[in-house]
Amino acid sequence: MELPFFFLFGGAMVLFTLLTMFVKNPVHSAIFMILSFASTAGLFVLLDAYLMAAIEVLVYAGAIMVLFLFVIMLINLRSDELEGMKVNPLMVLAAGTFFALLHRAISDLGAAVDPVRANTFEGEPKVVAKYLFTEMVIPFEAVSLLLLAAILGTVVLARRTRDA
Amino acid sequence: MIQLEHYLYLSGLVFTLGLCGVMMRRNVILVLMGVEIMLNAANLALIAFNKYMLPIDGIVEPKGQVFVFFTIAVAAAEVAVALVIAVALFRRLDTVNVDDVANLRW
Repeated sequence: MELPFFFLFGGAMVLFTLLTMFVKNPVHSAIFMILSFASTAGLFVLLDAYLMAAIEVLVYAGAIMVLFLFVIMLINLRSDELEGMKVNPLMVLAAGTFFALLHRAISDLGAAVDPVRANTFEGEPKVVAKYLFTEMVIPFEAVSLLLLAAILGTVVLARRTRDA
Repeated sequence: MIQLEHYLYLSGLVFTLGLCGVMMRRNVILVLMGVEIMLNAANLALIAFNKYMLPIDGIVEPKGQVFVFFTIAVAAAEVAVALVIAVALFRRLDTVNVDDVANLRW
């Protein structure tokens, strides 16, 4: 049962990522990126990460992409600036080398994981929340501070200074 | 039968696509989108590793999922700051093309 869904969501993720990166219009890129994140959320459900699937849709496909769309709207590109792709053979070589290295790393995966599967892994929100709010409280609070710092940073950066 | 390798190859492929986007696109916003795609691919790898982790004392803690939770929070903060920088760049230099912003390059 897992197999058709893996190929459905995985294929959709790759296809929409390709479209995101190689479509001319930034608005279309943003829309395709939302679809790519939605397929990732489907893969998270296949991997028993239900809470993360919900957060992926809410935060990534919702909040972050709205931010991207707003900024694209604010910047309001002229149509002559839409074309913007520079392909250098070195870049293709770098990407190919990177993927080859990844292939090498994946193919001799150590014994730390169970390659076939499957222990009785429980990924329901209750388990995740309990772990998050007991053992990971301090990092959780640290993240709230980081978000506060980001809010302050954006306000400071976005303010128009008089000498600008 | 779907195994861990399938998820890792998918994650690696999407990460490489994001890398290509970061290198090839000239628009600052598209470069940022490439970075987001790379982060997302890493999240997928973390969650896949979490599911296939060997149990310690019979239980598997959802460490990977919590890690992804933090990654998403940090990505949200990063995107907010980076997009404001893009807007400030556009206000000052009237461009979002990364080739035109080479003041720090030598």
